[in-house]
Amino acid sequence: MTSSNVSRRRLLHAAALGAGTMALGGGLSACSSGSPSASADALAYWDWYVTQAPWVDKEIELFEKAHSGVGVNKTTQQNAKYADLVALANRSGNPPDVFMIPQVPSVAEQVAKGWLLPLDEWATPEWQSRFPEGTFLEGANVFDGKVYSAPLKGSGPQLQLYIHHGVFKSVGLTNPDGSVKIPRTWDEVTSAAQTITKKSGGKSYGFGFGNADNIGVLAWWLDLFVRGAGAPGGAPTGPGLGMDYRVGKWTFGTDRAYADFLELLVEWKKRGFFHPNSVSLSDEAARAFFERGKFGMTVGGVWNQPEWTQHKFTDYSLVTLPSPTTTPQGYYYADPVGNGTFAAVSAKSKKAHEAFQWLDALTSPAAGRRWVQALNGVSAHPANNDPDGIDSKPFATFVGMTEQVLRGPVPLVRNPALAAVAPSAPKPDISDVVTGIYTGQIKDVQSELSSLADKKFQLFSDAVAAVAKKGKKVSTSDYVFPDWDPTKPYTTKKA
Amino acid sequence: MSLLATRQRPPRTAPTVAPRPGLWRRIRAAKWSYAYLAPMAVLLLAFVVYPIFASFGYTFYRWNGIGEPGDYVGLANFQQILHDRIFWGAVGHTFVYAFVLVPVQLVLALALALVLNNPKLKFALFFRTVYFIPVVTSAAVVGVVIQLMLANFGDSAGSLLAKTGVTDGQIDWLGDPHTALAVIILIGIWHTLGYNLVYFLAGLQTIPAELYEAAKLDGCGPVQSFFRITIPMLRQVGVVIVVLAFIGSFQVFDLVQVLTGGGPYFATEVVNTYIYHLAFGGSPGSAAQPDVGLASAASFLYGLLLIVFSALQVLALRGIGRRRAA
Repeated sequence: MTSSNVSRRRLLHAAALGAGTMALGGGLSACSSGSPSASADALAYWDWYVTQAPWVDKEIELFEKAHSGVGVNKTTQQNAKYADLVALANRSGNPPDVFMIPQVPSVAEQVAKGWLLPLDEWATPEWQSRFPEGTFLEGANVFDGKVYSAPLKGSGPQLQLYIHHGVFKSVGLTNPDGSVKIPRTWDEVTSAAQTITKKSGGKSYGFGFGNADNIGVLAWWLDLFVRGAGAPGGAPTGPGLGMDYRVGKWTFGTDRAYADFLELLVEWKKRGFFHPNSVSLSDEAARAFFERGKFGMTVGGVWNQPEWTQHKFTDYSLVTLPSPTTTPQGYYYADPVGNGTFAAVSAKSKKAHEAFQWLDALTSPAAGRRWVQALNGVSAHPANNDPDGIDSKPFATFVGMTEQVLRGPVPLVRNPALAAVAPSAPKPDISDVVTGIYTGQIKDVQSELSSLADKKFQLFSDAVAAVAKKGKKVSTSDYVFPDWDPTKPYTTKKA
Repeated sequence: MSLLATRQRPPRTAPTVAPRPGLWRRIRAAKWSYAYLAPMAVLLLAFVVYPIFASFGYTFYRWNGIGEPGDYVGLANFQQILHDRIFWGAVGHTFVYAFVLVPVQLVLALALALVLNNPKLKFALFFRTVYFIPVVTSAAVVGVVIQLMLANFGDSAGSLLAKTGVTDGQIDWLGDPHTALAVIILIGIWHTLGYNLVYFLAGLQTIPAELYEAAKLDGCGPVQSFFRITIPMLRQVGVVIVVLAFIGSFQVFDLVQVLTGGGPYFATEVVNTYIYHLAFGGSPGSAAQPDVGLASAASFLYGLLLIVFSALQVLALRGIGRRRAA
């Protein structure tokens, strides 16, 4: 390639990126918070928080009061396009000063590309000590000993079964004292769904969900139900997730909990327990339908609650880990890796000190307390997670559930070099497969699950081999913890 | 001396034709035309021609679209696409969409155009506007509104069908793999019907009224006039309409993306949504890695398929033209 070819190519790249950035700028201005701080001197901050926006706005207000002359200009980007927009902003050399760290590419790759600013100047050991032990982890938010991010959220059970009290009461699913009979085992859930569907006279269905957005809602059902049945990997929501660390593999094909639950799911559908439009409803619509009592049970996360609370709908309960037996055989496990990376300061920021102050404010214990009080989730600071001080009963229940989240194996602790392992996801992945099984497009469930598990392991092995080829000491055996009992907390030892 | 001998031959000189001006002079003569064309040409080169060639280079890499591609994989992306049943399923769905939508839509558009072309019809302009409104409405808006309608009222229609015994049970119109593509095709027919209606109306208005009057005097009825005058006179404009309708149908994307996202379980995946999902990753919130190299390979292969189809179409049209000339 000649130098003139290169320069032409660069010119066209620059023209395309310039046009894209201009267009982006136009779009962004439409999304900005519109606060008085929206000036050219203000810190540019990007996130994808929509339902959490009131909390962010409040934090901006408090920050601006406490730091006179420093403003924050917030832009809430569309979740689905967030990773592309951050990549585009970095490629065009115009990233925001502070931004929530996108899931793609991996944090390790973002650090390698020089997108993130090391925070060591400010993130002193004293500053780090305000977070719980183990928060700063090499390969997660620390690279080559330098800190790049800090956590906002703590670990709660990712998914819950939500129960509509009005629907349950209307069909007589109550205890002798008049309280709602909460189903906790697979059989109790089945029985409740049957009663609702039969007795409501067509007004309500046992279950409902909204799968139209392709956000993998049916995989949430699989995840919630199989964990309690003793499949600690659950259903992966990302390429490297969902592994059963006892064997360092995906066990869809070998652990019968998966096929058993999917058989039950198909049985529920055949018996008409699901709202018939579930596959084509959006998640938003399904949330509204549940609120209106069109179905009695649904699966989702704590993110459902702020919207229902805004609508003054609090007549519901939540349980997690419904299991075949009364005692769960597996749990949710704390995620020190995922939770440790919330937001970062851009390496290109010209106001790095102020940018860190904003990140510091967002991850402070006080902001964490307000995060919990605004019903957004649990805080990284355990002292904030006290159900007693929370007005909303369902949210207090959720916060109380953090006790059911155990410490599990963390391969990165054993070998930080694993941070560079970035397996790709097969297509179709588990959420597609569960949809195919639900709609009857996949008949041979066991064979499909085994094939998927093999494909995932192959892609994972390839990713590990690619990192090993670059001279790093990594192996698929780094992910095997044969001494782990999924019903007990586990402390990972450094290699 | 024979007559032939006395005939004088014309001198062997070139005909006196003015010399053709040079290229530069011709460009200068039409400089304003070129000036007006230049902005569009530059944009076309930058955003259509350049990406086509640039994306071909990406087909040889495994690349997530961030930074410069570095993981050279040769022809592996093409091999993967050729062995991907989801790709071939998407090709099948795209062809089903095109080959069902185009004939049905053209018949409907022609029928409506004949009605609206009737000079005795009152409020013809109003009806033309009504039928054209869906065309100027964005497919994204159409998709969202229809999705909401089906979410809120689809179960009522479904239960009515179930109660009357037409169906075994309630139907999830966009969530059932047996009905989802059919529903999208129906919406597609309705959404773009106005285009073809306008084209046919324009074609019908070029047919001289005298032809119909003469046919009437010769005793032709409306059916005979339609087949002996209207159809032959519309043939040329009809060819253009068919070609444009197929091109539009093979590019279907927005309706599918908004209504079903290609689901359930790829039952409505068309090639453009398939390429989009590869290029920009999977679902929101998930960490699915985009693969621009694979998407470029799929795009390139689909382009080849369309070139073959277009070539066949051109050959067929030439054949029709030759038969007509004979």
